Amino acid sequence: MDEYDEMFGIEDDFDDQFADELDAMAQMEKEDTSEPGKRPKQGPGDNISDIEHLLDDQPLTPKAKRQRQDAGVAKRLFNTQQTRESKAPTPSDNITPPSSPEQYEPSHTVRSTSEALDISGFGAIPETPRRPPTAAPASLHVLRRPPLDGEYISVTDSSGSRVYLRQKEDTGTKVVESRFVPNSHGGLGLLALPIGVLREHEAEKRHLQVVEESQRLSELLASNVNDVFLESESTEDKENNDPEDKEGLTSRLWVDRFSPRHYTELLSDDFTNRCLLKWLKLWDTVVFGRERKSRPVRSDRQPPNQNSFKPNQANQNPNRFKTKIEMTEELLEAELDQYKRPKFKVALLSGPPGLGKTTLAHIIAKHAGYNVVEINASDDRSAEVFQKRIDTATQMKSVLGSNEKPNCLIIDEIDGAPSAAINILLATLNKKDGPGGEAETAKKKKKKESILLRPIICICNDLYVPALRPLRQQAFLLTFPQTQPSRLAQRLAEISVKQGMKTDTGTLISLCEKTDNDIRSCINTLQFLHGRGLKQVNTKTIQCVSVGQKDQNKGLFHLWQEIFQLPRTKRKRIGEGFDEAPGSGGGAQRFQNILHLASSSGEYEKVSQGLYDNYLSMRVRDPNLQCVCDALDWLSFSDRLNQVILHGQNFTLMRYLPFLSVTFHFLFAHTHVPRISYPHSQHEALTKLLSSRNALSTMLADIPACIRTRISQLCLTLDMLTLLLDIICPKLRPVNPQLFSTREKEQMRELIDTMLAYNLSYRQDRTPEGQYAYMLEPRVEEVVRYPGLPPRRQLTYQAKQTISREMEQEKMRRAEQLMLQRNPAAKAEEKKSAGPKAARNHQQRLENIVKQTTVETKPEVDFFGRAVAPKIQKPQSSSDKGERSAVDSMGTAVGNSDVWFRFNEGMSNAVRRNVYIRELL
Amino acid sequence: MSLWLDKYRPTSLGKLDYHKEQAAQLKNLVQCGDFPHLLVYGPSGAGKKTRIMCLLRELYGAGVEKLRIEHQSIVAPSKKKIEINTIASNYHLEVNPSDAGNQDRVVIQELIKTVAQSQQIQSSTQREFKVVLLTEVDRLTKDAQHALRRTMEKYMSTCRLILCSTSTSKVIGPIRSRCLAVRVPLPSTEEVCNVLTSVCKKEGLLLPPELAKQIAEKSGRNLRKALLMCEACRVQQYPFSVDQDVPATDWEVYLRETANAIVSQQSPQRLLEVRARLYELLTHCIPPDIIMKGLVKELLSNCDGQLKTEVAHMAAFYEHRLQLGNKSIYHLEAFTAKFMAIYKKFMEDGLDGMMF
Repeated sequence: MDEYDEMFGIEDDFDDQFADELDAMAQMEKEDTSEPGKRPKQGPGDNISDIEHLLDDQPLTPKAKRQRQDAGVAKRLFNTQQTRESKAPTPSDNITPPSSPEQYEPSHTVRSTSEALDISGFGAIPETPRRPPTAAPASLHVLRRPPLDGEYISVTDSSGSRVYLRQKEDTGTKVVESRFVPNSHGGLGLLALPIGVLREHEAEKRHLQVVEESQRLSELLASNVNDVFLESESTEDKENNDPEDKEGLTSRLWVDRFSPRHYTELLSDDFTNRCLLKWLKLWDTVVFGRERKSRPVRSDRQPPNQNSFKPNQANQNPNRFKTKIEMTEELLEAELDQYKRPKFKVALLSGPPGLGKTTLAHIIAKHAGYNVVEINASDDRSAEVFQKRIDTATQMKSVLGSNEKPNCLIIDEIDGAPSAAINILLATLNKKDGPGGEAETAKKKKKKESILLRPIICICNDLYVPALRPLRQQAFLLTFPQTQPSRLAQRLAEISVKQGMKTDTGTLISLCEKTDNDIRSCINTLQFLHGRGLKQVNTKTIQCVSVGQKDQNKGLFHLWQEIFQLPRTKRKRIGEGFDEAPGSGGGAQRFQNILHLASSSGEYEKVSQGLYDNYLSMRVRDPNLQCVCDALDWLSFSDRLNQVILHGQNFTLMRYLPFLSVTFHFLFAHTHVPRISYPHSQHEALTKLLSSRNALSTMLADIPACIRTRISQLCLTLDMLTLLLDIICPKLRPVNPQLFSTREKEQMRELIDTMLAYNLSYRQDRTPEGQYAYMLEPRVEEVVRYPGLPPRRQLTYQAKQTISREMEQEKMRRAEQLMLQRNPAAKAEEKKSAGPKAARNHQQRLENIVKQTTVETKPEVDFFGRAVAPKIQKPQSSSDKGERSAVDSMGTAVGNSDVWFRFNEGMSNAVRRNVYIRELL
Repeated sequence: MSLWLDKYRPTSLGKLDYHKEQAAQLKNLVQCGDFPHLLVYGPSGAGKKTRIMCLLRELYGAGVEKLRIEHQSIVAPSKKKIEINTIASNYHLEVNPSDAGNQDRVVIQELIKTVAQSQQIQSSTQREFKVVLLTEVDRLTKDAQHALRRTMEKYMSTCRLILCSTSTSKVIGPIRSRCLAVRVPLPSTEEVCNVLTSVCKKEGLLLPPELAKQIAEKSGRNLRKALLMCEACRVQQYPFSVDQDVPATDWEVYLRETANAIVSQQSPQRLLEVRARLYELLTHCIPPDIIMKGLVKELLSNCDGQLKTEVAHMAAFYEHRLQLGNKSIYHLEAFTAKFMAIYKKFMEDGLDGMMF
């Protein structure tokens, strides 16, 4: 929101802001006027060079320029190489040379490419590939070494010899001919077109006709040739009257055919487009310009479209963007770290499918003069492969191949990539961490180092995938807003007009609505309808057709909102709901809509919980509570359904679950925007229930068996606990228990008995306020106390303290008794051993220790858990014996040895030894 | 052993305070030697468990009172470990299979079978059978009950089952037919009063008969509750006064207030408040059917005679659904809403009638 507001704030410097678009438009117009019927397929990359050449007559700084030029030519070279296999273009194209280099656009050659591919099946067609088609003007332009002034293009033939072609605007054909130059050296004549070439054209013309004939025949015979078309035509310019296009109609997706070829054709949000373009342009310094100094020079020589753009970047960018992404953009420019890279090395585009993210990335990368390398989910994205691909894309550059433009890596569908791959990407981003000196040298070595020097654009649908979390912090985030339906509809109208479909704006708008402005889905739907032979599409068809709806997850809140809110355009009165005849517009449509939404969300459990938690707060007039009753009947119905489904694994019944949402919609939908809260109640209830159950079961666990058998959890909660808690709160005189009367003492004893019997005790707890309080443990008080009821009588702190202390004593007493009962011998022995003996300190201690251990271990060894009185005699004697023997052994061990050991907790000098100086010397 | 409840619990059939003829019959049953499977049922607080323990003592002597708690762990076929506590003497084993939740079938199959299969060693001096006491049989799943059927027949020679439940409606027919059903009804008010008086006498206290009656009524003749209430009264105030207010259990008070809230206003907002209160009750481990029962009782006492049948009918309908379903809060709320709707309509009609 913020950003947009700020956007509006700076709209006054419109020119600056929309400079890119204006430039691009200007360029477009230029091309369009020069060659109206054709849309240039190759973006600015080529045009730049051409236009630059037009403008520029001063000598070039070769490096930066050459890259581009080479790239452009290589492209043509590539195209023409295919052309030469079959001189496919229509005669007019070949005979009359285009008037300007722009006109020699791949649009022609590529079409011929397809033909070349078409006829590749007919290998027998004679060709004369090596013959120069035109040679005459070449002599003026073909040089052995680079010309001193003017544009030139370097060309290397297959044999490795390189020539330089001087470039001129008015000679279009020479570019084509450039590759033939080595061959046509001898043939360089005065004629603009050598006679041989003319002849060849004639031959080709005839040949072409033959080819076309045979092609049609072959297509009739083998329809699978279409597949080839599909491939080949994807790069082709679109023109409806083209015969091949007609044939391709059936097989080729309109989405591809009508995908934008140029920046200005993009349907996505302007602002987003511009941001991305700007970001990409920040890379120019490092990618294209070698030195900082060269930048202004280069920007001077930018073609008009970039002319105004470049300074922007240098000067106005910070100001302009300050408002938008504020500091980030400013930092981008200001910092341009030591490698002159922007601060964010990665742009992360996110948004729902079908908004044109991938298209935008491709277009912009091309527009900025990059060669696009794409990695998407269909590729292997395991860590190693990913690493390799990133390295290849960012550090290498094709030398021989078609593109010598720098690469721009586009990682599509990154949200599906494993986090290992994303970590690799991050590592690549952060490679700059090397010392500065190294970086200096590295720069001098013309960026042969491994730091990232190429832009990377990542595309994802879900920005908040856990794996993307680290990347999010380092990336230039761009979220795609919805496409404007008006623009989309306009584009759809264009397409349908081109395809001869009759539509109107309303229809197209409704189509957009239906698909949630998903461009791809819209076009696909159109094509589908077209493919079914529909030449006329109206709103009804759109609504009836079941395609075009995405099965996308909308989020629960959205669903609840849809359920509780009437659609805004049609203000229906509540209560009409079911009365409406099905199919009569509104009601049925709403029914279908909600049903679709509910069934596509799939989380019926959560949905119904949300409905249950929220329906009562809806502002629906319901004086008789009839709606509420109906709703609850439906809820209990769905609960039963759920029970049956889960209990019997009868999942076919699940299809009835989404109808709950529909019912709620018709019962409670209102024009107001509902305030929906997330349903917590059931979960909270469950946790509370569990905690009460736990308290009860801990209480039950330690209750002695004779009482345990009488009580169950249920009777504890229902009958006993409240009263029991009352019973254990008697009135006690606040005096020392020693001063109690016998009656009070008796009462106290009973109280403690009860508490022990029912496993209750008081525990001292520190309250958050810092006071101490005795709490009943286990916490069964919470189980039986209800809010809003008058509080029960509580004991005072002193009373609780007294009880607690008495209980401890009682427990100890009982434990002692129990021990005594089990082995009375132990106690007697302990008393005996307490007698004092004259001995050295450590000896005395050791004795006691030995004695105790022997005495204590004895009964355990001797008895099998049964303490029987007559048996006591024997162990006593044996323990006596043991004692004696222990003393004996101790006498020798302790008395005679120099080394003794005494365990001293927390001390490290446990072993002592007398050491004399003489031993050390 | 200091609660009166535990202190003065009768331990032999002869000492039982009420339903004496039934006690005599049970005694006969033990003495005649042919001891069948028993299904003891009756409302809570009627003395089922006491009766069963007396019966066991009659069977085996005082040794049956030496109880120990054992923690058993059973591995279900699905490799899931089930922990269950049993209370056992040398002669009998008490299990509450519903502690295992949905896995109670496994408990029945594994635990009880192993006990039933083992023979008594000293059969000459003792009975030739052990007793397995299953509590809360009405909460057993159907699977577990079916698993029980065959066990009951097959190991008849070594094992007798005593089933203890509050109602037979959830016990499947085949099991009912294999058992001798013993119903333990609630004691009458007089019987409760007698018990209370005798207990107080043993304690050396004087209980006014009016207070005894009040306690008996307030406890709903649930003897356990009555004794506890009596003791709570004693703690509250000793010499007893006739008009002493008897402490009640909180949840009943809360439920009553909830019912009053329903009657006093009928609107979605009130329904929302009632929902919060119902949740509160449910989270305090009060079973939904008991909530339903208490609610209906309170509502019926509040509404007009003409409505009573309708309300009762609705209550039955929604309780049935409640038993079938899983989320009790829906059904409880549905009942509440329905009641609200009916009550509101009735009141408005009545108001209209007054106008004319």
